[in-house]
Amino acid sequence: MKGNGVTGNANPLRRVGALVDGARDWWEHAKAWQRYAVYLGAVVFALILPAPAIGTFMSPGSDWTTVLIYPIGTYILLAVGLNVVVGQAGLLDLGFVAFFAMGGYSVAYFGTEYGWNYWATAVMGIAMAAVSGVILGAPTLRLRGDYLAIVTLGFGEIVRITANNTDEIGGARGITNVPHPTDIPGVVDFGLLPAPYYYLIVIAIVLVIIFSVRLQKSRVGRAWAAIREDEDAAELMGVPTFKFKLLAFAIGAMIGGLAGGLHAGRAVFIEPNTFPFILSATILAAVVLGGAGNLPGVILGAFVIAWLPERFREVNWLKDLLGRDPAEYRILLFGGVLVLMMALRPEGLLPSRRRKAELHEGTGGMGTMGAEVTGPDTDVSTEAAK
Amino acid sequence: MSTPVLQLDNVTMRFGGVVALREAKISIAPGEIFALIGPNGAGKTTVFNVVTGVYQPTEGQVLFNGTRIDGTKRFKITKLGIARTFQNIRLFHNMSALENVMVGADAHHKTGAIGATLNLPWHRKEEKRGRELARELLDFVGIPGRMTETAKNLPYGDQRRLEIARALATDPKLLLLDEPAAGMNPAEKEALQALIRKIRDSGRTVLLIEHDMSLVMGVSDRVAVLDFGQLIAEGLPHEVQTNPRVIEAYLGVSEDAS
Ligand SMILES: Nc1ncnc2c1ncn2[C@@H]1O[C@H](COP(=O)(O)OP(=O)(O)OP(=O)(O)O)[C@@H](O)[C@H]1O
Ligand SMILES: [Mg+2]
Repeated sequence: MKGNGVTGNANPLRRVGALVDGARDWWEHAKAWQRYAVYLGAVVFALILPAPAIGTFMSPGSDWTTVLIYPIGTYILLAVGLNVVVGQAGLLDLGFVAFFAMGGYSVAYFGTEYGWNYWATAVMGIAMAAVSGVILGAPTLRLRGDYLAIVTLGFGEIVRITANNTDEIGGARGITNVPHPTDIPGVVDFGLLPAPYYYLIVIAIVLVIIFSVRLQKSRVGRAWAAIREDEDAAELMGVPTFKFKLLAFAIGAMIGGLAGGLHAGRAVFIEPNTFPFILSATILAAVVLGGAGNLPGVILGAFVIAWLPERFREVNWLKDLLGRDPAEYRILLFGGVLVLMMALRPEGLLPSRRRKAELHEGTGGMGTMGAEVTGPDTDVSTEAAK
Repeated sequence: MSTPVLQLDNVTMRFGGVVALREAKISIAPGEIFALIGPNGAGKTTVFNVVTGVYQPTEGQVLFNGTRIDGTKRFKITKLGIARTFQNIRLFHNMSALENVMVGADAHHKTGAIGATLNLPWHRKEEKRGRELARELLDFVGIPGRMTETAKNLPYGDQRRLEIARALATDPKLLLLDEPAAGMNPAEKEALQALIRKIRDSGRTVLLIEHDMSLVMGVSDRVAVLDFGQLIAEGLPHEVQTNPRVIEAYLGVSEDAS
């Protein structure tokens, strides 16, 4: 890619890239116990993450545990879900927030109107999201690339506007007094303290990661990869491509719905504006920035995208430098950092090797976006030599 | 006579004004190696595309083991027992050789999202069987050492063999090979000839498109010749070779081209 030629070896992120490749090689050949040690380490890390000592650095401006739940944890959950659609099956979805909304509204509506148990409403939210995923996917997944992107974008807006205009679910005022998750006696009480919600979302993220990895390594994941690379050849090799694309949509939607349900159960209040288009775009940015198709990358991308704006709330040296509160400029700063990162690592922070090659070739994934970023100067051979 | 494996019944395929196939009649018996030859643009690949469901014939019928398959979905035709390779190699380039073949093997697997996410026993069994089959097939086509290599990094000849392995993984009764020798050196062609025989001997029928005449003459039981979408000759290899219409078709084209 051109960018690499310009920045050359002086680019420190290149050295990071080499480190990442090394780590990946190690991981591929790691023994079972080594892998379990890493998993264990990751879980321990997640458990001690809310510690105030870490929080004072990570988010001096607001309560760290709360930030860990929303936006960070929620974005990670959403990004892992969208990654199934965009990263694994290669379908560009610009309306992912719709499924987040389905989950949120299901929990809020069935909890307040019918007094359902929270856990039942959460399951309902996942189911509603899956159904809406299938309803959206069935007529549209025969479209390719750009068309699919436009239809999904429209769907996201339709869901939000419908919520806005439907009085049964609160209209523009939204739904208040959404019940908290039902307590599990002797284990955990869900009240106003953030900690239980944090651990709940950690459990959700871990489960979703396990499922996602298992899918990727199975017949399902292979079918998605085949569709991404050459849909016609896949179909001729016996892959029911439409069915598998629909499945990707439904699974992505379920994860989005789960995130929505968790969010509504903690936030107590949701309204149509909780689910704006910009959130779809942000999650897509997290997936692409992190490295679509590669879970650690996607998680890192979501973390960075969720965390940076929080971090920029309270930056004292910037305050001194600018002479005013950088909080006003945090979105601008955030945008600048994103542009910088994409310029330095165009394939994402931690791209999967395969996706990286696909992006270089301009095949596969994200509709025709892959094709549009490449030109005659695309250098496939460097990738092939690796 | 037993039912033909494949039968094209007056198949016509039009693309706008272009008639790629004109009332083509082909009948292939079980266990045959049947070659389809003809000048460039004669409609050979179109036959494959019509048989595998890529195109629906404008007129006529396609019968596989006596049942009509034109209009059937592509992946279903594959499951019924027809697999193919491509004139321009269409592997899943960024997957390993083994994974490519496993996609073919998956054609007959049942695991869905639930089996995979819960890591259920039948899913594990299918994975294991698919992996074993893929290994065997890479060995069968003669590239056992390429298992973990990324498809696009393989030499050309090996990519062609990998395509054959991937097609075989779907367990086809009828295998369609579109110019499998293109880009191969003489030694590779020799090996390919042996491979095609081996495939037939394992109980499959082979339909072969090939420009290399020595390969066609050496391996096929019967040969059909297409010219401008029309079948102009059919018979034993040496009969076709000496057929004046065939000679004319080939010479005629080279005259046009010059
Ligand atoms: N999708 C299509 N749309 C329009 N015309 C087509 C299409 N597919 C094939 N044709 C035309 O049909 C004719 C036969 O093409 P086909 O690819 O079957 O030839 P072929 O015998 O395989 O030639 P070659 O030896 O070059 O591979 C050609 O004139 C081609 O341009
Ligand atoms: Mg052809």
